[in-house]
Amino acid sequence: MTILSLEGWLATAPAWVTGLPDGLQWLAFQLYQTFIYQDRWTWFVNGLKITFLVTLGALALGVVLGLLVAILRTAHDSQRAGKRNPILGIINAVCKLYLTVIRGTPMMVQLLIMGFVIMVPKTDNETLVCGIITLGINSGAYVAEIARSGLMSIGAGQMEAGRSLGLNYGQTMRYIIIPQAIKNILPALGNEMITLLKDTSLVSVISLRDVTKQAQNIVANTYQAYVPFICLALIYLVLVIILTKLLGILERRLRASDRR
Amino acid sequence: MIDVRNLCKSFGKHEVLKGVNEHIEKGEKVVIIGPSGSGKSTFLRCLNLLEEPTSGDIVFEGQNITSKQTDINLVRRKMGMVFQQFNLFPHLTVKENIKLAPVKLKIMTDAEADKRALELLERVGLPDKANSYPIQLSGGQQQRIAIARALAMNPDVMLFDEPTSALDPEMVGEVLEIMKELAEDGMTMVVVTHEMGFAREVGTRVLFMDGGNIVEQNEPKAFFENPQNPRLKDFLSKVL
Repeated sequence: MTILSLEGWLATAPAWVTGLPDGLQWLAFQLYQTFIYQDRWTWFVNGLKITFLVTLGALALGVVLGLLVAILRTAHDSQRAGKRNPILGIINAVCKLYLTVIRGTPMMVQLLIMGFVIMVPKTDNETLVCGIITLGINSGAYVAEIARSGLMSIGAGQMEAGRSLGLNYGQTMRYIIIPQAIKNILPALGNEMITLLKDTSLVSVISLRDVTKQAQNIVANTYQAYVPFICLALIYLVLVIILTKLLGILERRLRASDRR
Repeated sequence: MIDVRNLCKSFGKHEVLKGVNEHIEKGEKVVIIGPSGSGKSTFLRCLNLLEEPTSGDIVFEGQNITSKQTDINLVRRKMGMVFQQFNLFPHLTVKENIKLAPVKLKIMTDAEADKRALELLERVGLPDKANSYPIQLSGGQQQRIAIARALAMNPDVMLFDEPTSALDPEMVGEVLEIMKELAEDGMTMVVVTHEMGFAREVGTRVLFMDGGNIVEQNEPKAFFENPQNPRLKDFLSKVL
């Protein structure tokens, strides 16, 4: 691998570059070797693909897992004293153990354990799946508590109204409680999505080549950290801003029924 | 139509219903009054098993609904309920509120439910509110929609749990008017209320509950003009 020098590059650079002041010449050189030299922009693109795949996969898994845990825990908690279902009791205990372990240990450690103790992936695809599962399980624990707060925010009268019409528990949950709960938890859920997106940067520890890992690779090739890492930060920032906007639009749509 | 035998209900150590026996015939309009804490709402809510009785039997249209073999969801389709707090679904429009149960339970197609919803809205006098959301309506309007929603299932009996207690005084009349029309159409009704005028005018029988039991009952005229039980006399002297 050849390492470019500023002087060597300037000798071949177009005239408008050599006419720039020193500081900007240096910046142009950094940008060149970060993005253009050896088509390194494709490294970022490939890394982004992994980042997106891990985020979307973990998000889907986390939401499904979180909703499931939240519904089971709410069903358990809404039972009348003295009439508790023992099976729900066991399920509730398992759910609480899950929440305690996942929320009580760092995500980085969870990745290390899944990557090197439990799943030990061999191929790239296996590593990707390992990353998605680990982050999904992690996110699910947080989504579960967010979703539970949403389900509990819906008054008991809504469940009674649904049941009094002949809908069963599941139908009332699906058509009446959950749609209202989702509206209430959207800001908190958005927060969790943003956290998840940024936390995918940790998957490099199981050698998944996400966008953070790719930026590190570029630094390893250029021995220059400034531009690759600042650009990496900007990439995450732009992604989060886009996500925030999308969530804002969704929230406004769901709030249609609140307008007087 | 509804036969209640020795119905008991306790919340923990607190006994709310202490062996209530009652028989309600088809077409009757039974009004239940009594001081707060007397168990009248709990009694009503036991009728469609929103509260699970501690002991005793409730037989509805020949079926013991307290039995484990009974699918209570099927029974509830035939028992409409109207709540003190309306409990409309705030995320759905008025029409969607009315259509939800018949469509999701596959009793009507979407088009049939649509037609039925508009008929019912006409009946409760709010045809122009079909596409409004509950929050855009007054309390009285919301309660009229709640009545329409319950009627959409074509129930055999309607249970009213203090339907006017959460309303501004000026809106009580419009809700009672709808209930009166419903009574005139022959609907079987069980109404827990503090509206003595309604009990006297619309009720075919008035029950007085106190301390977890029905302590006196009579047809309205005799009930109000010639009460026997001292607690009822005391109660009526305070509310009339």
